[in-house]
Amino acid sequence: MEEVKIGVYVCWCGTNIAKMVDVEEVAKEIGKYPNVVIARDYKYMCSDPGQELIINDIKKLGLNRVVVSACSPRIHELTFRKALEKAGLNPYLFEMANIREQDSWVHTDRVEATRKAKDLVRAALHKVLFHEPLSERTVEINPATLVIGGGIAGMSAALEIAGAGKKVYLVEKMESLGGMMARLDLTFPGLESARDNLQLTVARVMKDPNIEVYTNTVIRDIFGYVGNFECIISPNFKEDISLQFGNVVVATGLKTFDPSVIPEYKYGQLPDIYTSHEFEGMLTSGRIVRKDGRPPENVAIIHCVGSRNRNYHEYCSRVCCMTALKYANQLRSALPEANIFEIYADMRAMGKGCEELYSLSSRRKIMFLMFDQQGPLPVIRKAGSRDKCDYLITLQEKLSGQDIEVPADMVILMVGTEAREDAKEVAHQVGISMCGNAFFIEKHPKLDPVATTTNGVYIVGSCQGPKDIPDSISQARAAAARILGTIAQGSVTVEVTTANVNEELCCGCQTCIKVCPYTAISFKEEEKVSFVNEILCKGCGTCGSACPTGAITCRHFTDRQLINQIEGLMRMDVEPELKEV
Amino acid sequence: MSQRVDQSLVREVEKFGKGSWNECFHCGNCTAICPLTEEGFLFPRKSYRAMQMGLKQTLASGLEPWLCYYCGDCSTSCPRDANPGETMMILRRYLTSVYDWTGLSKKFYTSHWWEFIFVLILAVIMVILFGFINPNPVDYTLTAEGSVRINAMFPIKWVELGDWAMAILVASLLISNILRMWYKTVIQDKSVKVSLFSYIREFYLLVVHFITQKRFSKCEDKNYWLSHWFLMTGYSIMFAVIVVWLPWFQTEKVYLWYEPQRLLGYYATFGLLFGLIVAGVGRIRKKGVKFRFSHISDWLFIVMLFLTTVTGILVHIFRINGMVEATYISYIVHMAVLVPMVIVEVPFSKWSHLAYRPFAVYFANLKKSGQPVKASVQS
Amino acid sequence: MEFQPKIIAFLCNWCSYTGADLAGTSRIKYAPNIRVIRVMCSGRVDPTFVLKSFTEGADGVLICGCHPGDCHYHEGNYKCLRRYHLLVKYIEQMGIRPERLRLEWVSASEGKIFAEIVNEMVQTVKALGPSEVKTVVETLT
Repeated sequence: MEEVKIGVYVCWCGTNIAKMVDVEEVAKEIGKYPNVVIARDYKYMCSDPGQELIINDIKKLGLNRVVVSACSPRIHELTFRKALEKAGLNPYLFEMANIREQDSWVHTDRVEATRKAKDLVRAALHKVLFHEPLSERTVEINPATLVIGGGIAGMSAALEIAGAGKKVYLVEKMESLGGMMARLDLTFPGLESARDNLQLTVARVMKDPNIEVYTNTVIRDIFGYVGNFECIISPNFKEDISLQFGNVVVATGLKTFDPSVIPEYKYGQLPDIYTSHEFEGMLTSGRIVRKDGRPPENVAIIHCVGSRNRNYHEYCSRVCCMTALKYANQLRSALPEANIFEIYADMRAMGKGCEELYSLSSRRKIMFLMFDQQGPLPVIRKAGSRDKCDYLITLQEKLSGQDIEVPADMVILMVGTEAREDAKEVAHQVGISMCGNAFFIEKHPKLDPVATTTNGVYIVGSCQGPKDIPDSISQARAAAARILGTIAQGSVTVEVTTANVNEELCCGCQTCIKVCPYTAISFKEEEKVSFVNEILCKGCGTCGSACPTGAITCRHFTDRQLINQIEGLMRMDVEPELKEV
Repeated sequence: MSQRVDQSLVREVEKFGKGSWNECFHCGNCTAICPLTEEGFLFPRKSYRAMQMGLKQTLASGLEPWLCYYCGDCSTSCPRDANPGETMMILRRYLTSVYDWTGLSKKFYTSHWWEFIFVLILAVIMVILFGFINPNPVDYTLTAEGSVRINAMFPIKWVELGDWAMAILVASLLISNILRMWYKTVIQDKSVKVSLFSYIREFYLLVVHFITQKRFSKCEDKNYWLSHWFLMTGYSIMFAVIVVWLPWFQTEKVYLWYEPQRLLGYYATFGLLFGLIVAGVGRIRKKGVKFRFSHISDWLFIVMLFLTTVTGILVHIFRINGMVEATYISYIVHMAVLVPMVIVEVPFSKWSHLAYRPFAVYFANLKKSGQPVKASVQS
Repeated sequence: MEFQPKIIAFLCNWCSYTGADLAGTSRIKYAPNIRVIRVMCSGRVDPTFVLKSFTEGADGVLICGCHPGDCHYHEGNYKCLRRYHLLVKYIEQMGIRPERLRLEWVSASEGKIFAEIVNEMVQTVKALGPSEVKTVVETLT
C-alpha cells in the first residue's frame, strides 16, 4: 500500500482559460488539499514542455495520480494519458477537469467562473483518488474491409485499400456503381466530362481482384467490434451472405432536396421549371428545349434552393454555386443569343479554379442578380400574353435595392443536398452518430474528420456533409490510409473501461442481461451468476446502474468514483477520505 | 411596381462609351469615398448597378449622374478597376440622349460621322452665307482710330437677328429637353410630392449653383473646380455678350482697356483659354483618372471651342490693327466654327450639361424638400 | 445577495457532453451554476447518483442524453428515461420538488439548446429557492 500522491496541473491555455478563470488561485487553493503533492499552473499544458512538467514531477516527486485542469477531455485526454505512460505510470490514473469549453468559454463572471473551476478540479481530485490502473487489451485485426456505398468516394477508398493487396467488399444498394457522379454531365471548374473520369474508376474497381463488388445489395445487419466485424448482406434474389472484416468505410452519399415544398418556386406546377439534376440530364442529352420543343430565350438559374434557409436547411450545399456557373457557361455556348440570369444569394466560389470560373462567367453576358437570403424568396409566376416570355420571377434585388422582375422561359432550381432518408438506419447498423442535419458526425471536426466515435468505422464523401468530387476522393483516400495503418499493425486496442461482475455479490437476477444492448453478458448456470464478455462489452455502464446489488463494476466510471466526484463538487471543506489505496 | 431587367441595355449604353462593366462586385468603396453622394442620391454604385441590370426607368428618372463632377476619386479607389467615374460620364451622355426628343443627340454621340458631317454642313452654310451671298461689299476704309469697320460688311442688326434666331432655336430645344428631364425625374417619381412653394424657394439655389459651381468645390481636388469655373464663366459671359448684348459689345468704336466691354471680353477669353488648356493638356497626357478616357465628343467640343476662341482673338487683333482682309476672313471662319458648335453642342452634346447639371441640383433639392408619399424600398 | 443554486448535470459522453463542448467552442454564454459530471451513457446514471447529489445539497439535477433513437449504445437513453420517471415520483415523496430533476435530450450539435436548457433550469431552481433537503438538514442540526 503506497500513499496517494496527486499532482494537479491547471492550464492557462494562453488567455483562453486565464482570461476568465484565475488559474493561479485555483492551483493555490487545490494545493492545500491533502494528498496533493504539487499543484501548478502553466501556459499550455498540452505543449511539449507542459507534458514534460508532468513527466518530471511523476519521476521526481513519485506522483501516482494526475489531474489536469484544461480543455475538454474529448480533445486532450489521450495526450496526457500518453504522458503518464511515458513516465511509467498507468494512463488511467488520470482525470481531466474541463475548465475551458464548459467554463471559461461559456461564462462572463470571472469570480463565478473561478469558483466553478475550483469545484470541477476538486471533483476530479476526489474521483482520481479511486482510479485504478487498467491494462489495455488488444485484438487481432481482420485485414478485410467493408465499403458501404459505390459512389466515387466508396470506390476511391476501395481502390486504395485493394491496391495495398487487402480484401475489400464493396456493397452498393443500386444496380450500378457511380452514385451521384454518374448523373453529372461536366464537372466544374474545368468543365471536363464526369462520365470519362467515372468510367475509368468503375473499370478499375471491376477489374481489381481484391475487390468483391455487390450491387443491388442491402446490408441486413452488422455486429462485432473493431478488427472483427461481421455482417449479413442480401444480394438481390440470392441467398444471404455473411462477410467478415476488420474495418468499415461508410460512403453512402447524399440525396438532392425536393423543391416542391417551396411554394414560391411552383416546382411541379409549372412545366418548364427544372431541378439542377433534371437539367443535368437535359445537358447530357444535348437538347436544351422547353416542354413544347422550342429553345428558351430567357433562362433563369435560382441558387440556394433549400440551402442556407432557416425553413429548409441552414447549411450551404457547397457545390451548387459552381454547378450553376457551369450551367450558365454551357447555356451560353449552346444558346448564344439567350438571356441568362443567375439569381443568387451569395456566390461561393471557393476552391481551386472556382473564382476563375466565376470571373470568366461574368464576362459572358450573364446577368447576376442577388436576393437577400433573410428576406422573402423570389417568386415565379406565369407571365401574361404581352410579356414575351413564359414566366416572370419577381424579387427584391439586393445590390440595387429594387423590386424587379426577370423574364424566363426556363427556370433551373439549384437544389441543395441533404442526408439520405436511410442515413439513420446505416448509423444504427455501424454505431455512429448523426448531427442535426442527419449527416454523420466525424470524431473531431478539425483533428479527425475521417474517423468516427466508433473504432474501426470511417465516414467518407458526402454522407459526412456536402462535398465536391476532389474533396470526397481525398477523404476516401485518407480513410484508406488510416485503415491500412491499423491493418499493418495487425492488432488494435479495444475498450478497457468495460463492466465486470463481482461473483460474490451477484444474486443472479439477470437484470444486467436484459439491459445490455450488446448481448455481452451471459449467465453462468452452474454458479448462478452473470458473466461479462469483455470483447463485446463497449462500456456504456447501463448494467452497472441497473444492478440491484452493486455487483457490477463499470471500470473507470465506478459507483465509488462517481459518488466521490459528486462529493467533491459539493463539499468544499471536506478532505478527501482516502489516505491510502 | 417591379421593373423588368434588360440585358440589352448594357449593349445600348456601351455605344456611348466603353466600360468594364463585369468587374464591379459592389463593394461600395466608390460611394463611400464620394464627397458628393448623400442619402437618397447614392452614387456611383447604384447608377452602375441600374445600368448593369438594365433598369431603364431607374436610370431615366435618376439625377445622380448629373450630381457627379467626375473628380475621379471613385475610380482611383476602385479595387477592381471598374471605372465608376467614367461610367457616370457615359451615363451622362446616355441621359442626354434620353432627354433629347429629336434623336439627334443619340446620333451624334454614337456616330462620329453624323456629328462631323452635321458640323461640316453648318460650317459650309455659314461660309456661303457670310462670304458669298452677303450683298455688302468689303469696306477698306478704316475708322478714325485705324481699325477695321467690321459692321459694314456684317451689319450688326443682321448678325444680331441671326444670333437671336440661333439662340431661340437652341434654347427651345434645350428647354424642351429640360422639361422632359423634369417630367422623367420629378413628375414620374411617385414616391415624393413637390409643392409649388418648393419650386419657388429652391429656385435661388439653381442660380447660386450655376454661378458658383460650388458642388464641384466639394470634390477633393480643388484645381479642377477652379479651371472648370473659369471655363464656365468665360463661356457664359461670352455667350451673353455676343448673343444678348451684341450691339453693345461689337461696335465700330474700339473701347479703351478699362471700359467694361473690353474687360469682359478679355476676362472671358482668359477664362476660356485657361479652362481649355487645362482640359486639353490633361486629356492629351491622360493626366489623372478624370482625363484617362476621352470620347470623341469630348475632343470635338474642346477643339471647336478652342478654334472659336482663337479665331475670336484673331478677329480682335486684325481689326484693331486695321488689317481688313484678315479681319473679314477670320470673322467668317470664326462664325463657321461658332455656329455649328453652339447648335450641335448646346442642345445635343457635351455642352448641354451646362443646363442639365444646375437643373439636376434644382430637381434634387425639390425632391429632398418634397413630402415622401410612401417609404421607398431603398436599402 | 441573490440565491445562487448549484446544479449537478450528468452528461453522456457522446451526445450531450459533446454538445456542451460545442456551446463552449461556439462561445455561447450560460449561467455558471451548473457542474458537469461526464458518464459514458445516460444509462449509466444510477438513481443513487441523483439521490446522492440531493443529499449533498444540490439544488437541482440535470441529466442529458442522446435523442431517442440516437444513443451511441443503441438504447441506454431509454433505460435512463424509465428510471427518470420513477425517480421523479420518488423524490417528490421525499419532499423534493420534482422540478429540481430534469431529463433532456441534447445532441452533439445542439450547443445552443444545451445553453438554453441550463439557463431555463437555473431560472426554475432560483425561483424554487434552496433545496428542501438543505432546509430540513439545517432545521435538524
